[in-house]
Amino acid sequence: MVTYVESVRMALTAIWGNKMRAALTTLGIVIGILAVTLMGTLISGLDRSFEKSMSFLGRDVLYISKHEWFGDSEWWEIRNRPDLKVDYVEKLKDQGKYVVAAAPVAMRSVNITRKDEMAMGISLAGTTTEFTQTAFMNIESGRFYTEGEDRSGARVIVIGYDVANVLFENENPIGEKVKIGNYVFRVIGITEKQGKFLGMFSLDNRAIIPMGTYQRLFSRRGWMRLEVKVDDEHIDDAKDEIIAIMRRLRGLGPEEKNDFAINQQDAFRQQYQTMKIAIGGTGFFITVLSLVVGGIGIMNIMFVSVKERTREIGVRKAIGATQASIMRQFLLEALFICLIGGCVGIVLALGGSFLIDKFVFPSTMPVSLALISLILSSVVGIVAGLAPSYKAARLDPIEALRYE
Amino acid sequence: MADLIKLTGLQRYYEVGGETVKALDGVDLVINHNEYISIMGPSGSGKSTMMNMIGCLDSPTTGTYEFEGEKVHEMDDNQLASIRNRKIGFVFQTFNLLPKLTALKNVELPLIYANIPKDERLELAEIAMGKVSLTDRMHHKPNELSGGQRQRVAIARALVTNPSIILADEPTGNLDSKSGVEIMSVFDELHSEGNTIILVTHEAYIAKHAHRTIHILDGRIEKDVYNKKIRKKLNKKKATA
Repeated sequence: MVTYVESVRMALTAIWGNKMRAALTTLGIVIGILAVTLMGTLISGLDRSFEKSMSFLGRDVLYISKHEWFGDSEWWEIRNRPDLKVDYVEKLKDQGKYVVAAAPVAMRSVNITRKDEMAMGISLAGTTTEFTQTAFMNIESGRFYTEGEDRSGARVIVIGYDVANVLFENENPIGEKVKIGNYVFRVIGITEKQGKFLGMFSLDNRAIIPMGTYQRLFSRRGWMRLEVKVDDEHIDDAKDEIIAIMRRLRGLGPEEKNDFAINQQDAFRQQYQTMKIAIGGTGFFITVLSLVVGGIGIMNIMFVSVKERTREIGVRKAIGATQASIMRQFLLEALFICLIGGCVGIVLALGGSFLIDKFVFPSTMPVSLALISLILSSVVGIVAGLAPSYKAARLDPIEALRYE
Repeated sequence: MADLIKLTGLQRYYEVGGETVKALDGVDLVINHNEYISIMGPSGSGKSTMMNMIGCLDSPTTGTYEFEGEKVHEMDDNQLASIRNRKIGFVFQTFNLLPKLTALKNVELPLIYANIPKDERLELAEIAMGKVSLTDRMHHKPNELSGGQRQRVAIARALVTNPSIILADEPTGNLDSKSGVEIMSVFDELHSEGNTIILVTHEAYIAKHAHRTIHILDGRIEKDVYNKKIRKKLNKKKATA
């Protein structure tokens, strides 16, 4: 027991005696551990924001549009597909037994003005009341429009959180008038703050008007998608069913390919998994590389250390050190160099993940990863220290004492 | 009581470039407790090998070596380390203190390998430092000490485990004559306190401090004589008996 405690002390003393060298040697380990922990933080943050974004796309909502979200169809093929029509919605609801709700969504980019204020590049959606079921949003104040307003083409508008902030700073927008081009709308509701979707576009930067109004004022045709909420226990069946209905509506023969696309959350998930594997793989590669390089550096410096201290080893052996205790001393030295590197790496990573959390996206460094890092650096230390320590332990005391 | 050291037909051969070097070629020797011995011989005579052998740093090719009845020639590495730790105190020509440790820590070192707890270690180390009258320099590092002081620290380190023999290899070789005299008086005193001391030297005036001088030449004991003073004492003993 005494010798174990003393071996630890000796190893630490030796490292302390060569602070600079130990610090430089362990740099590779620091970088390796930093890489692995930051990568973990990054992935945890991505996961979190991905899941948050995914909560806006219901798992049980299918999105019918002209193009696949992550398809490999040629662009001209998609361009030649016929547009989707609003009346498909009624047919889907009539014929599909798994369809719970369905809404057509037409979109365009507009500027909304109010007196001198202008909100630019707002995505204006024209949709029906069932949008409240297919989309995941809450009304913060006011209300959504009614079916009557939709059918009659009332000029009412529900605005996003950011739009409300831009146009009505410190004022209550409900009941106020805003203009899109020359058309005047009455604000009847504001949606709750939702944040960005996958960090790309803001869901708070939009406005919603009744489908009837949209078609009358802006366009009967144009870009449109259908959102269909289905029975969440039969999503796959529902998908097959909707494909069948759509093919019938389009009058496609059995040989012909679908001229529409059915998208769902899974497409994002698959895409995200691929990306995650790519990021994780790169991180893993960098980590392994720097740990291997770091390990070689440590092995090298340990060989130097053994050579330099040949005489010391001779003295220690002469006064009674066994091979095991010499081995232990040098092995512990290599281990501690690596562990110190690992700890420094973790501390730096903590700082780094704090910055990521604050400035990039919400994330935390996984505790398990910190532990794995420490174990990893210990393993590197022991593996790198084995050969030099063995060499030290096997030195012939007579030769070692004679060494100049 | 068994002889302290008993060498019988001891041979140590080395293979150097296909040739066999007979560093020790049949040594028979008995050393008793509280002897004060010097081993002399020109370089290449085998006196270093002899010292390494007695110090249990080396194992004989043939022959036997018994240390207080323990068969050293049959021991493995760990047993040799243990006997060096418990029974032998080394003093080297170049002191061989660890430069990064204080004098006291250097003295403590053999006790660490003897698995002695810290408090006891400190106490023993301080006592040993007292024996070489260096209690005021305990917390200095070797490079802050003079050559004579360093050698005294080394002697304290050799003493601290209370070994059966103290083995000194040219202990004054790196010292000026004044410090050399000082160190030799330390050895004389240690001997008078009952320690067994073996000096390896090629200086006749150092060897004179010992009571018995063993001359080595070509790997054999050439001469093994008691100094005049001791001879007289022994004769007196015989006469009274």
